[in-house]
Amino acid sequence: MLEVKNLRKEYAGLTAVQGISFNLHPGDIFGFIGSNGAGKTTTIRMIATLLEPTAGTAILNGADIRRDTMEVRRMIGYMPDFFGLYDDVKVWEYLDFFAAIYRVPTKQRGEVIDSVLELTNLTIKKDAFVQSLSRGMQQRLCLARCLVHDPTLLLLDEPASGLDPRARAELKELIAELGRMGKIVIVSSHILPELADFCNTVGIIERGELLAFGPVSKIVTEMQPHRVLAVQVLGAAADFVGPIADMPNVLSAVAVGEGDLRVEFSGDLEAQADFLAKLVGKGMRVATFREDSADLEDVFLKLTTGALN
Amino acid sequence: MIKEKWLDLVIQNPMLIEITRFRRRYTSASATSSMNGVVVLLCIICYATLLLVVIQNRTSISPIVMIFAQTAFLTVLAPMLLYGSISGERERRSWDLLLVAPITKPQIVVGKFMGAMAALGVAVILFQVPIEIAATSYDRSHWQSVLVADLVSVTFLMCVCALTILFSARVKRSLMALGATLGSLVTILIVFPALVGLGQSGPATDAAFFLHPFVVLSRIGDRDDAISRNGAGTVGPGTSQPDFPSNVPAPWWGWPQTLTYLGLTIVLLAWASNTLNFAENEVKFLPQGHKDA
Ligand SMILES: Nc1ncnc2c1ncn2[C@@H]1O[C@H](COP(=O)(O)OP(=O)(O)OP(=O)(O)O)[C@@H](O)[C@H]1O
Ligand SMILES: [Mg+2]
Repeated sequence: MLEVKNLRKEYAGLTAVQGISFNLHPGDIFGFIGSNGAGKTTTIRMIATLLEPTAGTAILNGADIRRDTMEVRRMIGYMPDFFGLYDDVKVWEYLDFFAAIYRVPTKQRGEVIDSVLELTNLTIKKDAFVQSLSRGMQQRLCLARCLVHDPTLLLLDEPASGLDPRARAELKELIAELGRMGKIVIVSSHILPELADFCNTVGIIERGELLAFGPVSKIVTEMQPHRVLAVQVLGAAADFVGPIADMPNVLSAVAVGEGDLRVEFSGDLEAQADFLAKLVGKGMRVATFREDSADLEDVFLKLTTGALN
Repeated sequence: MIKEKWLDLVIQNPMLIEITRFRRRYTSASATSSMNGVVVLLCIICYATLLLVVIQNRTSISPIVMIFAQTAFLTVLAPMLLYGSISGERERRSWDLLLVAPITKPQIVVGKFMGAMAALGVAVILFQVPIEIAATSYDRSHWQSVLVADLVSVTFLMCVCALTILFSARVKRSLMALGATLGSLVTILIVFPALVGLGQSGPATDAAFFLHPFVVLSRIGDRDDAISRNGAGTVGPGTSQPDFPSNVPAPWWGWPQTLTYLGLTIVLLAWASNTLNFAENEVKFLPQGHKDA
């Protein structure tokens, strides 16, 4: 379990991370989202023991990043937002080097290397030179390197940047697999939708502040406490605005275009069904009736621009 | 305490995998097509030439001269092996990956040092062949002198390695580290002696070059010559040393320097790893053009 407690980092004249706290459990895949300069890398590097926090700490399975640094390092796999590959070695030699540094016993190294290559789908490149790999393969090799010592916590800083859609899909599948293996995975990104479908927890950071934390659905509800219902009727929508606005639970109703209405609704699903019945009862010819699920991108922009203003 | 440090830094240091990395770098299949390949090829040619020269002139070449050659050659080679050891990792940005690993900075420094020493060790062993050929055929050589001279040579090379690592830890660019190391070696070994006037005023200035490896080697050679001419007693302590061209007593050449070099190596390595302690995360150590610089 990872407990991040009030983690804070100040640079001269600038607070990059303003005391953020959250907890993660084994199997959690945490999407860490923020725009450029929000403080994602700084937070990740603090948890990775590369940067000393100005205040606060993080505790991974009882080991404190400040006091039990070596113990924490043995448990984390850190993939920076750059490759940091050695170019004059072969793929397996590269992995062998890091396996040795992480004290994987010599006899087991071959086996470990084979299994991480298998997991990252690089088995055929085992004897290739690192510099001959494509960008996507190098990215996977970096991930393979993080896995040689079977870490408990994976810190992946923008692992999907620069990958084509297919490679992205493969990476997501791989990360989901790591979650199923019981690891805690922290993945940072600029884009919420990119992470929303495979992370079970997301956190939105802006200017060093954690604006929202929790399951994607919870964040979306938090951002939009009221449902927005999109109703398409046959006939002039404008004529119905008045009667609908007077109905119970309706906060507002606006006509958008010829036959479309957007209704802000505060009731539960029960009330929503009654509402539809009433519409039909009043003789409206309802063609479609659906909940306008909040656009993740909108949620993200709303949250972050809120912070900027 | 010392035993713990020895275990931690040498016996159980996972960074000793650097030795394997050095070996792979110079023996892997791509070596023939890369820069390293050229270096290896050049070394082989030089080595073969050296062997031929020694075999042909074996009665007139002193083993000390061979050790002289070994020291000169490896003093240039050592910085080549090590200049990128830390600044190069920073440039490649693989440095962070070492820092997040469960190893200490002294372990990293010692690992890099041992890697280079293993490579130099191979070179030194190769050099022993011509040295031994010369030692067995040259009539004025004494095996103790050859041994001491070799120790002076090897410990001096250790110093050079440690110095290169120190520069590599302190500068931004690996080429700067190479320049700084070679520059300071040239200054210490050539420019400074030329300015002070080695050779002009003769033996009187010897004390000033007490730690100069080439002066030390020459004096060990001179001592051998003196012993051959006058017998073993003539250059011992308290004798008048008629044939020994130095104002520093003959027994002072060899062991004292070896020990000093060893001490200096340890100091330089400790300094290098301390440098890393404060260099961590410091923007000024990132290469220019880097996004955080
Ligand atoms: N070494 C440093 N010295 C001073 N300020 C720094 C340093 N490193 C980062 N910062 C500042 O800290 C803030 C957060 O940076 P950070 O790299 O964590 O952002 P990020 O969320 O990872 O952004 P990106 O998406 O661009 O990677 C930025 O304003 C940055 O300028
Ligand atoms: Mg970043």
